[in-house]
Amino acid sequence: MGLLETRGLTKSFSGLTAVDAVDMTVEKGETKAIIGPNGAGKSTTINLITGLLDPTAGEIYYDPPTGVLEELASLTQTDESARTENQQSRLATIRETHSITGLEPHEVVQEGISKSFQTASIFPGMSARENVEMAAMAAAHGSFSLNFLKRRDAFPDIGATTEEMLRAVELEDDAATEAASLPYGDKRRLEIAIALASGPDLLFMDEPTAGMSPEETQSTVTLIERLQSELGLTIVLVEHDMEIIFNIADSIAVLNRGAVIADGSPEQVQNDTDVQKAYLGGVEL
Amino acid sequence: MSDDERPQDEPESLRTDGAGVGGEASPGPAGAQESLTLLLRDLRNHEFAVIGAAALALVVFPYLLIDGLGALGSLIGFRIGGYEGLASLVLIYGIIVVGFNLLLGYTELLSFGHAAFFGAAAYTAGLLSSTAEISPPFTEASMTMPGIGSPLVMLTAGTLVAVLLAWPIGILSIRRSGVYFAVLTLTFGQMLYFFALGPGAGITNGDNGFADVNVEPLLGVFDLGAELPVVTTVEYLFVGVLFLLALTVANRIINSPYGLILKALGENEQRVAFVGLNVFRYKLMAFIISGAFAGLGGALFIMHEQYIHPTTALYWIQSGDFVIMTVLGGTGSLIAPVFGAFMFEYVSNVISGVTLPVIGRIGSLWRLILGAVFVIIIWNAPRGIYGGLVDLKRALLVGLRRLVWASQHPQKASEALRGWAALRGRRVLAIADRLPGRGGPGGER
Repeated sequence: MGLLETRGLTKSFSGLTAVDAVDMTVEKGETKAIIGPNGAGKSTTINLITGLLDPTAGEIYYDPPTGVLEELASLTQTDESARTENQQSRLATIRETHSITGLEPHEVVQEGISKSFQTASIFPGMSARENVEMAAMAAAHGSFSLNFLKRRDAFPDIGATTEEMLRAVELEDDAATEAASLPYGDKRRLEIAIALASGPDLLFMDEPTAGMSPEETQSTVTLIERLQSELGLTIVLVEHDMEIIFNIADSIAVLNRGAVIADGSPEQVQNDTDVQKAYLGGVEL
Repeated sequence: MSDDERPQDEPESLRTDGAGVGGEASPGPAGAQESLTLLLRDLRNHEFAVIGAAALALVVFPYLLIDGLGALGSLIGFRIGGYEGLASLVLIYGIIVVGFNLLLGYTELLSFGHAAFFGAAAYTAGLLSSTAEISPPFTEASMTMPGIGSPLVMLTAGTLVAVLLAWPIGILSIRRSGVYFAVLTLTFGQMLYFFALGPGAGITNGDNGFADVNVEPLLGVFDLGAELPVVTTVEYLFVGVLFLLALTVANRIINSPYGLILKALGENEQRVAFVGLNVFRYKLMAFIISGAFAGLGGALFIMHEQYIHPTTALYWIQSGDFVIMTVLGGTGSLIAPVFGAFMFEYVSNVISGVTLPVIGRIGSLWRLILGAVFVIIIWNAPRGIYGGLVDLKRALLVGLRRLVWASQHPQKASEALRGWAALRGRRVLAIADRLPGRGGPGGER
């Protein structure tokens, strides 16, 4: 079942179409990779979904009830002028209630979508524990319900989540260390812990192994696999390392010049002639 | 051997970080010291300890300021002692900068418009206590002010107006960040200043200043000017209690989830949004809270001075003074900015009265002196006066521990000292070697 669906997602920057009518489905529980050459629109797509950018056109649906997407498909099959008033209003209702298009980043996170950035986006001056505490607090107590005259120790549930997430990324021994002084690989793992503490169902990872040593890369790959199997997370990652992708991805979407040119299982994508021509330069994998 | 290379035999005990002193050599005292450090850290986390220590400091402060510095002054032949009113004034500015630090030190938002909240609160409190005839701008109407001089009502009204003003100014300014935010707040502050001078002169008495302030006794009984045993005056006690209250609230905020979020906003705004928090609302809240502190300070200020002028209340230099005080004292810790408020007010009120041999009375040159003080302090202690004091304390403690260690192990100490001297000597020789004509570049090897 589709957890995330984009319909005709489009983004133009003053004439340049960075993302061109992208229809993409992310199934619940899968690990999906988005690949493509530089400038293909991978990061823009993620930024559109996570609310950093507003799309020029198109819709994003997150975790809609069964049947809604099918209904949507049948409704949008007919041309806008041919729809009855009833159909038109039903379409508006669906878009109103199930679409996350145009939400602010913090609202998207509250829906259950987290993100780790290309460069470790952490709070450098705070300890690793405080870093994760931030996210746990936001997840448990919402955006504006925190009492500012109550001490932090008065929220014991936050502490438990924090410890659990630090353990999940194996940083429990460095909990008191200032985040800025952690090695690069650990910073990225800390960022993943922050993203996890927000309690997501869907996690976006922008080049999770970029700039890592082979050992760090290996442990990150293991971590991603564990997240998926143990926490049942759905993961979407943008990655350049083909070996990693074909190792861990359940499905792969290939972007080129803003458009999806292939979407399917690794085998399908590998054998797709368009992909070989456009992206892999015809090289046998 | 390169002179940068550390010789293997460099003694542990002379490492600059102070670690390794004591340690295995003297487990007893080191263990005790460690538990003492832990106890201190524990105490610092307890509100009662923080506020209690602050209260104690407030009792001692006027004596140090007036008698202590006065005695020092008569020793060196300059009149550098403080006076009673100055102690209250420092605490009033202390309240403002403790709140300002929540914005500048934690959230890292630099506002150049906090005089607006300070001044608006001061005018509100002053007008409330006045019985003057005022005429609102753009109308022919005139009205008589109510003459409510109860200090508590004046404070509440002033703080409330500051909050109500900080709200819209915050909403309009926080949409931009960095320099744009600073300039926006500056602009709003200046708008209020020119309003008070021009169209609003019917209310504020414009350039003549507003002097019709009639403060009644506190709770109808205690005259603010009355002398008290131990704590000098009723006013000082009143301001002191409010200062402690402000400190308690700020301490609570810093130790609450809010405090963590404010700090996080200063460090990485994008990540705050990406843990699901509404960045705008939290920044706005920080702005309003600091505005409320400035308002409380402004209302106290007019009670203290009994006079206010648009230039002292609303002009952008006043906003800049809050920034200078906060940075001078040190940002990012609860009490630090208060040291800056003290230094600022001390230079402007006491040092300005000092007469120097050649220059004569310092007078309006005090800003020059303050500038020099600022540069010297920020050069030597980038974390401000408070940070500098903390570093100094640490250095003294390390020195003390070394002395204790040396007295217990005279043999090792003398070896260590000799090793250190030899190392320094080698370094000096190495540097001397590089001098031209002594085997340095261009010389003979």
